[in-house]
Amino acid sequence: MQSAVDLAPSGLPSDTGRSTLRRTAPWIVIAAVFVSLLSLLPLAFIIWIAVQTGWETVSALVFRPRVGELLVNTGMLVLLAVPIAIVLSVALAWLTERSNLPGARLWSWLCVAPLAIPAFVHSYAWITMVPRLHGLWAGVLISVIAYFPFLYLTVSAALRRLDPALEDAAAALGLGPWRVFLRVVLPQLRLAICGGSLLVGLHLLAEYGLYVFIRFDTFTTAIVDQFQSTFNGPAANMLAGVLVSCCFVLLGIEVLVRGEERYARVGSGAARSQQRTRLGRATIPSLLLLLATTLLALGVPFVTIGRWLVAGGMEVWRFDEIGLALGQTLFLALAGALLATVAAMPMAWISIRAPGPLQRLLESCNYIVGSLPGVVIALALVTVTVRIALPLYQTLFTILVAYALMFLPRALVSLRASIAQAPVELERAASSLGRPPLNALWSTTIRLSAPGAAAGMALVALGIMNELTATQMLAPNGTRTLAMAFWSYSGEIDYASAAPYAFIMVAMSLPLTWLLYVQSKRMAGR
Amino acid sequence: MKYALSTLVGATALAISLIGGPAMAEDDGIIVYNAQHENLTKAWVEGFTKETGIKVTVRNGGDSDFSNQIVAEGAASPADVFLTENSPAMVLVETSGLFAPVDADTLAQVPQDYQPISGKWVGIAARSTVFAYNKTKLTADQLPKSMLDLADPSWKGRWAASPSGADFQAIVSALLQLKGEAATADWLKAMRTNFIAYKGNSTVMKAVNAGEIEGGVIYHYYYFGDQAKTGENSKNVELHYFKNQDPGAFVSISGGGVLASSKHPKEAQAFLKWVTGKGGQEILKTGDSFEYAVGKGAESNPKLVPLADLQAPKVDATTLNSKKVTDLMTAAGLL
Amino acid sequence: MSFLEISGLHKHYGPVAALAGVDLSVVSGSRTAIVGPSGCGKTTLLRLIAGFEAPDQGRIALDGEVLANGGNAVPAHRRGIGVVAQDGALFPHLTIGDNIGFGISRGDDKRSERIVELAYIVGLDKAILKRRPHELSGGQQQRVALARAMAMKPRLMLLDEPFSALDTGLRASMRKAVAELLEAAGITTILVTHDQAEALSFASQVAVMRDGKFSQVDTPRELYLRPRDRMIAEFLGDAIILPAKISGGFANSPLGRIPVDTADNRDVARIMLRPEQIALKRTSREGMSGTPDMLFGEVTESEFGGSMCTIAVRLLNNADPPDAAAIGNTPLVLRKPGMDTPAVGEIVRLTVSGKAHVFA
Repeated sequence: MQSAVDLAPSGLPSDTGRSTLRRTAPWIVIAAVFVSLLSLLPLAFIIWIAVQTGWETVSALVFRPRVGELLVNTGMLVLLAVPIAIVLSVALAWLTERSNLPGARLWSWLCVAPLAIPAFVHSYAWITMVPRLHGLWAGVLISVIAYFPFLYLTVSAALRRLDPALEDAAAALGLGPWRVFLRVVLPQLRLAICGGSLLVGLHLLAEYGLYVFIRFDTFTTAIVDQFQSTFNGPAANMLAGVLVSCCFVLLGIEVLVRGEERYARVGSGAARSQQRTRLGRATIPSLLLLLATTLLALGVPFVTIGRWLVAGGMEVWRFDEIGLALGQTLFLALAGALLATVAAMPMAWISIRAPGPLQRLLESCNYIVGSLPGVVIALALVTVTVRIALPLYQTLFTILVAYALMFLPRALVSLRASIAQAPVELERAASSLGRPPLNALWSTTIRLSAPGAAAGMALVALGIMNELTATQMLAPNGTRTLAMAFWSYSGEIDYASAAPYAFIMVAMSLPLTWLLYVQSKRMAGR
Repeated sequence: MKYALSTLVGATALAISLIGGPAMAEDDGIIVYNAQHENLTKAWVEGFTKETGIKVTVRNGGDSDFSNQIVAEGAASPADVFLTENSPAMVLVETSGLFAPVDADTLAQVPQDYQPISGKWVGIAARSTVFAYNKTKLTADQLPKSMLDLADPSWKGRWAASPSGADFQAIVSALLQLKGEAATADWLKAMRTNFIAYKGNSTVMKAVNAGEIEGGVIYHYYYFGDQAKTGENSKNVELHYFKNQDPGAFVSISGGGVLASSKHPKEAQAFLKWVTGKGGQEILKTGDSFEYAVGKGAESNPKLVPLADLQAPKVDATTLNSKKVTDLMTAAGLL
Repeated sequence: MSFLEISGLHKHYGPVAALAGVDLSVVSGSRTAIVGPSGCGKTTLLRLIAGFEAPDQGRIALDGEVLANGGNAVPAHRRGIGVVAQDGALFPHLTIGDNIGFGISRGDDKRSERIVELAYIVGLDKAILKRRPHELSGGQQQRVALARAMAMKPRLMLLDEPFSALDTGLRASMRKAVAELLEAAGITTILVTHDQAEALSFASQVAVMRDGKFSQVDTPRELYLRPRDRMIAEFLGDAIILPAKISGGFANSPLGRIPVDTADNRDVARIMLRPEQIALKRTSREGMSGTPDMLFGEVTESEFGGSMCTIAVRLLNNADPPDAAAIGNTPLVLRKPGMDTPAVGEIVRLTVSGKAHVFA
């Protein structure tokens, strides 16, 4: 859970409040520009290191067989896992949203719930069940299981928004249900599939723990290896550079495939509610598909954690140690979420109240940085602090900045949505009643957007709680989060001692995942 | 939701003062950068604190990242003491001039063989290289005579190692010192085609035990540690000691040193003295670490093959070159 | 020769009955309009005919083929029935050309030719074919939807309020164009609308729907002039409804003696006149005297409304009112051409032309 691009920026209705911008602008714009510049720091440093290292060394470190091998591994992983996740998610989304599947609501929640389980815990569970599991196909299997819910969320939300009149029209034009799906439904899901695939792809590039368990090397694992062998040496930084290029390739492909299309509903009038297709004889196979997915994505981890907890008995519940890790994790998650939300506020405000070229530029900065793997951001911050700002090295401040950079987009998406719902007139009314601009902003828009901000914070907290690589590289002395403790025990094959930590991480993530699920339903207007 | 934000700010402040503050920014006591096994250092710290009342904050990590980190941090390093599993990391910090001399009475507790002439750091424990193999898959006569044999094409796909770990890198550094750069580079290149990479020595042993692979180059104590617990990951494993001064018989010295930049040098020296002294070395004998004790007169766990019987090659711990090793391994495509 | 035959159709959504026994018979090549207030069940009926949903009970047959009999229903894509939805329901991800050609097999060599031809028939410029639906105006979108539905040469065309999203001026011309087009193509058509004027002018048969049932099915003229009850009368247009005594083919009403469309004699009855049956002629108070059998009124309100003005007239005398008190104080509200409308206070003479309709 390291990279953090969430639901791609959506075209929200906006009030072009030029006058508001002019009155409140300087501070908010300066703040937004500052945040964006700060967010570009990791990229700038990779370039700076490359320039400093010199072309000869760079090319020696980049153009070598090992990098080619990692490129093949990482590329194959994305090329296999993403299409499989697309097919699975579209099938599951259709079954839970558009068919008369028994218990559709429960299944739809079960399709989102795997997000509550950190990817490395999925891997830990699988390696316990099937110790020989390793390599590309194992990576594809567990990656799909751990990350398909991101696609499921976006696709099912898009399915819910589709105008059923179009499907009726196609049926009236002589298309059977299957061809209606292929020619009318699927093309309209293109945006959602693109967005969700990008999200999954970026997570695959950023994931570390999952692949270590099954001995599958990707750029991220190789960067961590290099970091552990040579700290912030040029080799690690150059691998990071290649990884960043991979992220850009993914972003570029997504832009190309998505195109400039906006599939809004054409015409007016309220969409009639959707009909659910009768599955008939397909009911049993459909239920089996959902059951199999649930067993693989939830059953395996829960059974494994349960098994190790039983095997470990009371002995593995070292409460002093666990309590400390829990406290530190909660603190980091809360503080990081608060910082990310505060940092996102100016940007969110501008993007709703005063959209324009500047806002688009700033927002795309944040968007790109949010798509960088945690290991890259952490490596950059290590380099920056060690070389330039040593007092900040391994301080609470630095780790929180890293979290804020990684998870800013999550906070931004929620904030934008809630600010869009706070009418600008209230801000103006407050101003006309004699409040100075920032005060007016505080007493109206910020107060009103608090629920959205809270939801965004919860999502950021969820990300931080399960973050491993950046935390390991940047955390202050004495820090031992749940994820770190889990990682350290499972590294020593002490799977029983790791189990309580896995259990607590899952238990704490479940409510937040529920929130994510509810939010996605609400965004789709239900 | 009217006061949601202010409540949140308040809650965070509270959390800082209650949990985060004291736990994360310990100001009294010493900070140990610990690359040794967490449980071993934990036992040392508990024993030391109990005896002296000095608080110790431990940051866990690996040999290589800590040594590089200390070099990068330079004089501003928050660390007071650095404990490793292997010597190359110690050498890196020493050659950067960041260690303070170890107190003479600490050095006196450890034989000359287990400390550098400079006296900038001291051995705290030792471990032997072994070839751990699955006894259902290999018989004694099929075992490699030398670690160098593993480069032979007949061993392709049959053995494992954890090349990203400092342990294996220390073994390579010994090979480098014993056989020279060209031979080492060749061996690494052959290894690249022959071996299967795992992350962590425990994982290697687990795979050997499960029969996923016939054998692996690791250190001895993983086997004994697992045997002492449930034996679940080692019941099919047997250890093969190369002996004969083979590079594969390399005994690696775990080191401890006090940083020159330490703000609590007295307490830091006391810690090192305790670790190399009776109390600390006794923990190696009685605890579950199964590393060799190196203190004068200290005994290792009786289950272990005595250190003297290992016929380890003579390696000068003070010149083990970690930088060269990672460069060679990166060039061979192992990193 | 009935082409579409619907009998005893029922459809429930949970406890709500959307259709409660609908019968309808449509002649081949004709145009039928189903009109009713929103929520009366007309769209449900259309969806059942199209095959988007199956009825709970009842039977639908098209050209002798049973399309639905209770829950057994032929799915929509095998019915060959064209549908034009309220907002066109154009596929946003396809160009206009691909929208029109959606129902034509891609293997068809004449596909692109047909698309151009269909676009021409519905009056769309060829240049528009490469555009996307959201770039078109509402009227253009409806034409595309029509062309798309016609491409598959449907046996029956269903129009679901296709003109309601259009501007008033455009609406009438589109309606006329569509009617002519379908007539020329010989396609039997059913139009669903809540606009009574649209229904009356479009169709040769109009079915008025209320609470999931047809309350009357007839030709537009019959419906307008001889509605079955007061609600239908008022739904289809302004109506003047008066108490009267009927005898010998005449009604004795507050408006005097008016010929009626029935030969029955009844002491208590209600008659209906359409406002356009009442003509006004300017006169003065002096002109009223000595003409006891004539009807006079005073204009009490006059509201200018462009081409048509609304005026209220209070009757000043009436011949033989059965309950004069009831009608005497209630002015008649009439809509008259805006040119030369009498002003407030003026005296007018009222004359009734044609027959009054007597409610059963």
